[in-house]
Parts: sequence; structure tokens; C-alpha cells
Amino acid sequence: MMAMDLIKRNKTVFGVAFLYLVLFVFSPEKAFASVNNSVYYLAEMFQVLPVIFLLTVVIEALVPKKTIMNSFGEGSGWRGKVYSLILGSISAGPVYAAFPVCKTLLGKGASITNIVIVLSSWAVIKVPMLANEVKFLGVEFMAARWVLTVGAILVMAQITSKVVKIKDLPKDERQDEERVVEIKKDYCVGCGICARMLPEYYEINEKKAKIIAEGVKNSDMDILLKSAEECPTKAIVVNG
Amino acid sequence: MDIFTILFWVIAVALFIVSLIKNRQKTFDAMKKSKGMMKNMIGEIIGVIFLIGFILTMVPPESIKDFLGSSNAFISTIMSAIVGSITLIPAFVAFPLVGSLVDAGASVVPAVAFLTTLTMVGVVTFSLEKKEFGLKFAFVRNTLSFGFAVFIALFMGVVI
Repeated sequence: MMAMDLIKRNKTVFGVAFLYLVLFVFSPEKAFASVNNSVYYLAEMFQVLPVIFLLTVVIEALVPKKTIMNSFGEGSGWRGKVYSLILGSISAGPVYAAFPVCKTLLGKGASITNIVIVLSSWAVIKVPMLANEVKFLGVEFMAARWVLTVGAILVMAQITSKVVKIKDLPKDERQDEERVVEIKKDYCVGCGICARMLPEYYEINEKKAKIIAEGVKNSDMDILLKSAEECPTKAIVVNG
Repeated sequence: MDIFTILFWVIAVALFIVSLIKNRQKTFDAMKKSKGMMKNMIGEIIGVIFLIGFILTMVPPESIKDFLGSSNAFISTIMSAIVGSITLIPAFVAFPLVGSLVDAGASVVPAVAFLTTLTMVGVVTFSLEKKEFGLKFAFVRNTLSFGFAVFIALFMGVVI
């Protein structure tokens, strides 16, 4: 049961591992070539992810929610769009590196429009890539593609924000002041460690942990984070 | 590491130190939160990276030649856009490759379609995007990106 759960939660990893296993049996050369190809991207990941980690920490700890809402939120207008475009363009790293940054911004009140702009410009209009494009395809080519791409990204962001609403995003991304502690029901195995640790916050109900406290005292934040760490299946999420 | 990544490092570390000085406790709490978020993603990212390596072996960058050179402009544009969506080739490989093909007389339209979907549409990163932002968001963003990439390509054909 535990093993099935582990596989279910890491579908991609197990799927890819299985793929490589099959490949190693039937075509070892192709498998080695694939591993070789992956090395470049692994190196890139290790160069970029620590920075992304620091960046999300800085946004979370240093930048007040109000600032993010004013600069990237619903009412930020053209200024927000320009900021998003700049943030995406100057940042280094592959598009998946943009995911944690965007999640942190969303949590602090950024709008869907601006998140799409950050994500898309992060992917397509990188400054170092533009220089490369000029070198091999010429200034006109680069400039024309840049103008068209920026236009397309702005239109796309507008359309996406009409179709996708904040409520369509996974729950832990919603900005929600009161609910700082959440239990992922699918992951909870009902072990009861949390309820023993903090009976005033958790209770086991029908073999699942439940939050019984109305709101969280600031002085309890540390012990709540500790309870999230102790949870063997990491079903407790603390946002604060 | 290129200069931009180094700059990115310098800025992030500097801001992090400022954050530590300004509010130690808040910074530590934020680190815990970010650690949790990254831990959720890292397995998936490594999976995606090995998937990219596999795809690059099966569909090597050079294979784009076959699509760019095709006689039917419409089909070659769509095919190039699809290949671009599936593969993830580093920019320093993609630009010289496409540059040499365009110099050799290949049409600009499929070349642009390929270059644009290469980075804007992520079939391999789709599962990760879905996990982080929900199916609807990932689907809408990637579908729109594909459509607009073809549109940008057609427009480029007129301008260039």
C-alpha cells in the first residue's frame, strides 16, 4: 500500500525510470546516449535551483504582500505587465525554475495575467538568448520575433485570465489569510502524531487528521511548522 | 555558468543576506516553506530532465531539417511547431542550427514556429506545470502558446 502510494505520488520519476530500464535492456547505446544528453540539463538544474530557492525565500520574507499586490496584483494594470515582462526576461534558468517563483508570487496576491506573462517571458524572451539569436539569425529577425512574441504573450495572458480563475488553481496556491494550516486528505494516513503533539489544533476523525482550531496564534507558528515536519507523509501544509 | 546566471546568483545571495539581517525569524520560516515547495518539485524535475535526454536521443535536433525542408509550407510549419513543443534544445544549439538552415534556403515560417514552440510550449514539463498550477491553467497556457507560435511564424513570413 505504502509502495503504491509512493509510486502514485511520483508518477513521472517512476515512469521515466521504467522507460530507462526497458531502454537499457533493449538498446544500451541509446540509453547511455540519453543519460549523456540529460547531464547538461542536470548541471543546469544544479546551477539554477539554489538561486530560485533563495529568490523565493527573499520574496516570501522580505517583500510585503501589499507590494506584490500593488506591483503584480489584479489592479496593477500596465505597470504590472511591464514588471512581469522584465522579471521574466532578466531571470536565468529553464522554465520549470519559474514555477516556484510564480507560486510564491501567486501566494502573495499576484494576478493570473501577470503570472502568465512571467512564465511565458521567462521561457521565450531571455536576454542572453536574444544575443544568440542576433548572432545566428540577424538583428531584424530577432527584433521582429521579439515584438511579435511580446504582443502574443500580452494577449495570451489576457485570454488566460478570462478563462482561468484563482479558484481553478490547486488549493495551496490560493491566498487565504485564515487557513494557514491545511491537511492534504489524500496523503494523510491517520497516524495521529499531529493530534498527540498538538491536541488543541488537530484531531483524528474517521482515520484522517482534521484541523479543529479556528485560526492560528502567531506564537504557535513554530510548533505548527514542527508538526508539519513530523508528519510522516507530509500531509500537513503550513503557510504563513 | 554564463554571465547572466552568475549575476542572478550575486543578486539572489545579496538579497538573501539583506533578508537575514532585516528579519532572521521570518527568513527562516520562509526557508522552511520554500524547502517544502522545492522538495515537492525536485523529483518531478529530475524525471523531466531524464525524459528530455531520452527525447533528444530519439528525436535529435538535426531531425528538424526533415520538417523545415518539406515542400508543403503548411504541413512543415505545423510539424515544426509540434517538434518544437516536444523537444527542449538549448538555445545555443537551436539558433545556430536554425540559422544554418535558413541560410541554406529553408523557409522562415516553419523555422520561427519551431524556435517559438521550443521554449513556449512544454509537453515534457506539462505534468509539472499541471501539478503546480492545475490542469486548466497548464492546458490553456500551452494551447494558446502553440496557437500563437504558429501565428507569430506566419506573421514573420510576411515581415521578413
